[in-house]
Amino acid sequence: MEPSEVKIGFIGAGNMAFGITKGILLSGGVLPRNVTVSAPSSNNLGRFQELGAAVTHSNTEAVAASRLIFLAVKPHLVPAILREVAPHVTREHVVVSVAAGVTIATLEELLPPESVVLRLMPNLPCMVQEGALLFSRGSRAGPGEGALLKTLLGPCGLVEEGPESWIDAHTGLSGSGVAFVYLFAEALADGGVKMGMPSALAQRIAAQTVLGAGRLLRDSGRHPAQLRSDVCTPGGTTIYGLHALELGGLRAAVMGAVEAATERARELGRK
Amino acid sequence: MSVGFIGAGQLAHALVKGFTAAGVIATHKIMASSPDTELPTVSGLRKMGVNFTTSNKETANRSDVLFLAVKPHIIPFVLDEIGPDIQDRHLIVSCAAGVTISSIEKKLVQYRPAPRVMRCMTNTPVVVREGATVYAVGTHAEAEDGRLLEQLMASVGFCTEVEEDLIDAVTGLSGSGPAYAFTALDALADGGVKMGLPRRLAVRLGAQALLGAAKMLLDSEQHPGQLKDNVCSPGGATIHALHFLESGGFRSLLINAVEASCIRTRELQSLADQESISPAAIKKTTLDKVLQQPGVAAAGGPKAAVSLFNKSNPGRKRN
Repeated sequence: MEPSEVKIGFIGAGNMAFGITKGILLSGGVLPRNVTVSAPSSNNLGRFQELGAAVTHSNTEAVAASRLIFLAVKPHLVPAILREVAPHVTREHVVVSVAAGVTIATLEELLPPESVVLRLMPNLPCMVQEGALLFSRGSRAGPGEGALLKTLLGPCGLVEEGPESWIDAHTGLSGSGVAFVYLFAEALADGGVKMGMPSALAQRIAAQTVLGAGRLLRDSGRHPAQLRSDVCTPGGTTIYGLHALELGGLRAAVMGAVEAATERARELGRK
Repeated sequence: MSVGFIGAGQLAHALVKGFTAAGVIATHKIMASSPDTELPTVSGLRKMGVNFTTSNKETANRSDVLFLAVKPHIIPFVLDEIGPDIQDRHLIVSCAAGVTISSIEKKLVQYRPAPRVMRCMTNTPVVVREGATVYAVGTHAEAEDGRLLEQLMASVGFCTEVEEDLIDAVTGLSGSGPAYAFTALDALADGGVKMGLPRRLAVRLGAQALLGAAKMLLDSEQHPGQLKDNVCSPGGATIHALHFLESGGFRSLLINAVEASCIRTRELQSLADQESISPAAIKKTTLDKVLQQPGVAAAGGPKAAVSLFNKSNPGRKRN
């Protein structure tokens, strides 16, 4: 199946759906008219229409119009929605669930047998095509579907495949991880303010610092420890600052944060 | 070439043991002196065939390369004692933590216009030829003096020249470093024993683990952070353990330790420069014995006591 021919549907029109839609259309590989988005209210549909996608209030219409369907609703809505659309899901469809904590087993249970299901965990920066996405294939999804998804989502950021057991860790690391970075950036800015900088400027600088460091980290291919060492001139400012971070136990706190978020994802998945 | 050691304690003993194991010098060409003949290292040195004397002046006269291997606060007295005996041939190598080349040169130029002085910081594993040594050359030392010292010290481990202002940091890191490692090894062994290993085996395995890790790092181009990653399988035992280390502030403790040792070294240096010593700082009768040697003048009596509780220990009473 050529990406340009694929008909793609979205159930749900929130930020995640929007980010993925933007990414998919950005590559130019998918035609906007081949994208159908459904949501109960018109509130969020405008921005999809601006991209040239078709919009509807009918989930079943989105399913009927598509081959690949993204399920991008809040987790607690998933069972009801699947029950609603299940009669219209055929063996030709590929269902990709973006709902946090909803397992492949649950999805397959609620859909007709032989349904092709994948589970995808994106993160917020998908909205600016700098997402980190991890997907996992259900029992009927073959390497072909995996490859298609990877190609389609490529413009959204980093796309990797893994066993379902990694998805909770990905949620903790990268889904919630975005918020951890925001917290760190805020603290950086507060530090700047403490040392005499106006807060608006400090925040812009903090954001750019995180962004710039992130790009260097991603693009250099080097270990973060090596990059860190490279910045530390002997007896200089950075090593003094790093010492304060180590005294504060930052590393353990961050490991603990990822652990806590992951554990919670697992818990939610069990419910 | 004859080598002499002023001081016959742990450092002299370790260096002699290393040099002789490396075969760079024969023990009968080595002399060591100390006023205290009861030191256990004295009998150790004697057993190795080193010439021992209680006279620092004799050691100076019989040596070409003279290691000053005494405690920092003793250095000024030793320099006053041997100053008159220093000749052009002499190469003075001070191993005393925190004692600057300029303070030594200042003392010796009273007796000789161009004393050849070098300063080194080494560590105890020279005894097994795995020492870490740095050295700095003084004003009148020649290039070949540095090369000679480097050859000697390289026979017992790693040796490199540095700018003198880095030596205190080296003291904090590799001078004191073996003590950090011994502490870590003791605790690792405790961990092993807690989990059921016999003590001897636990100690043996812990030491080998650190030795092996250090060797891997020295042989590798990779950052220790990368090497750490290579050991940590996802969700495995090691990463769980590392989280505990991080929670305990393991890294910051080590940074603190190196910093504290370096700062203390600098403190000792200013004490030595002022030649102010308190009776409290000299635990044995070494000073009395040094003062008994002919030709040694006491430096104006003990000055203000060194506070045992310095400002880096807030919350403790000041004397």
